[in-house]
Amino acid sequence: MRIKVIGLGSPHGDDAVGLEVARQLSRETLPGGAAAVACDRPGVDLLDELEGIDAAVLVDALRSGASPGSVRVLSPAQLARGHALSSHALGVADALALAEALGRRRPELRIVAVELEAERREGVSAAGRAAVPEACRRVRMLLAELTRQAHFETD
Amino acid sequence: MEGEGALHLTVEGDRVIDLRLEIYEPPRFFEAFLRGRAASELADLVARICGICPVAYQMSTLHAVESIFQVRLHPSVRALRRLYYCGEWIESHLLHMYFLAAPDYLGVDDGIAVARFHPGEVERGLRLRKLGNRILSLLGGRPVNPVGACIGGFSRTPTRVELEELAEEIVRARGETEAALRFFASLPVPSRPQAIELVSLRHPLEYPMNEGRIVSSTGLDIEAAEFATAFSEHQVPHSTALHCRRIGGGRYLVGPLARLLQNSDRLSPSALAARESVAARLSSTDPYASVFARAIEVIYAFDEALRVIREFEPPPRPAAEFAPRAGVGHGATEAPRGLLYVRVETDDRGYVSAIRIVPPTAQNQACIEADLRELAPGVLALPHEQARRACEMAIRNYDPCISCSTHFLTLEIERRSPA
Repeated sequence: MRIKVIGLGSPHGDDAVGLEVARQLSRETLPGGAAAVACDRPGVDLLDELEGIDAAVLVDALRSGASPGSVRVLSPAQLARGHALSSHALGVADALALAEALGRRRPELRIVAVELEAERREGVSAAGRAAVPEACRRVRMLLAELTRQAHFETD
Repeated sequence: MEGEGALHLTVEGDRVIDLRLEIYEPPRFFEAFLRGRAASELADLVARICGICPVAYQMSTLHAVESIFQVRLHPSVRALRRLYYCGEWIESHLLHMYFLAAPDYLGVDDGIAVARFHPGEVERGLRLRKLGNRILSLLGGRPVNPVGACIGGFSRTPTRVELEELAEEIVRARGETEAALRFFASLPVPSRPQAIELVSLRHPLEYPMNEGRIVSSTGLDIEAAEFATAFSEHQVPHSTALHCRRIGGGRYLVGPLARLLQNSDRLSPSALAARESVAARLSSTDPYASVFARAIEVIYAFDEALRVIREFEPPPRPAAEFAPRAGVGHGATEAPRGLLYVRVETDDRGYVSAIRIVPPTAQNQACIEADLRELAPGVLALPHEQARRACEMAIRNYDPCISCSTHFLTLEIERRSPA
């Protein structure tokens, strides 16, 4: 079972939360021997990150109107395709749709989403920082669950 | 440079009486906040101006600074900078070709739809593009916002083993670059030749990237330092992007098409053969042929990257030493989107007292507006959605940074009844 944590985002404000979670987790031994990588706006390169693995937990910032800093687990089906497919800001859902259009095998995916503070600012907000430990906890749980599931399926 | 665009058309009957392309383009703030920074910090800072062409900003700025500090680049370092630029052209051109141009010519919404109809072609584009990223990572430390370039060279010289591994990958993928051109040549790419002055660098021996004189199809031939004698930037009320004009001239074009048409005799043999295969499309200045110019430059960049690696001798040190001093320096290099001019002024501690950055999009903007003015009468009768698409497609030929999103354009048509 090859499993990975991919933190997504950019260095701008709360959008950096996914990157921060990946950085923290990369210093730990994770369930299933997962590696954690931080990807600054990977765009189409997200496809390469998803190659050769069985499962991944993506961590990203989200704006949905919930209270800033709240952490949720989503399935890929819950992501909305962006209106604009931009060449250097291809969103997660767009990248997954591209992988599917290309007929690539998609690994089992879970998404940990941290609600952004609406206002754009320098650095991660207090709510965003406070959400990092909870996001890390959810990622560890999902990794354990995905690893167990894989064992069960191979038994 | 990333942002949104809006096109305002005012028409009277079937006549266009006003046309304004609005672009929100923020690099002017860079010129303000770079003042007071040490020149040695510039390369990392200007790399942040654009997520797609950081190398171009780094190279033009470094050359300007190096001319002030009188830094002499080691020939091997100079060669590595060409390799670095090859990486950026490969990465940027292929992204444009497969994710912005191909949807236009296939009449579909986006790159995902292209992938559905032509998965093999899109996989090819992604595979080739990845090699551009590999080059950027090797020399810049990472593919996005690279940091390796510095005054006098790079912070680290790649090892022979690293370069050889890269060369092997390039050799394996090289043949695919020609297949990419064939794919684009098979698509129904429109044609609308226009009278435009072409502007690019010209080097005595090489296809231009980092060095050369600024030349044009109407006989301009100047040093980078003379840029202000031939070009002037001015503000237009409807856009935050400055327009750049030829002094005493009309519209001019920078970018892959201008480069190719003025430097075909500097191409590698296989890039030249590729050019011959689409020669009919390159016999006039037709902005729609830019996609072919990009594909040919990708072939050239693969050849050139391989040549640099094969002839590479490690320099004695990754970067030449330098002593800060006061002065004015100019840098002009060929960004994927065209000529990028930078003027830097430093004080005697080597701090920036003034900097001026003229990106290719600012230079092409007047050209884009003129192009749209010619296109507009023909699209007025079309349904709004089709008219918007036709305008977007014409704008995308120039690959302005605003074109990074597929549906970037808000088209407003104000119809007035003839007086």
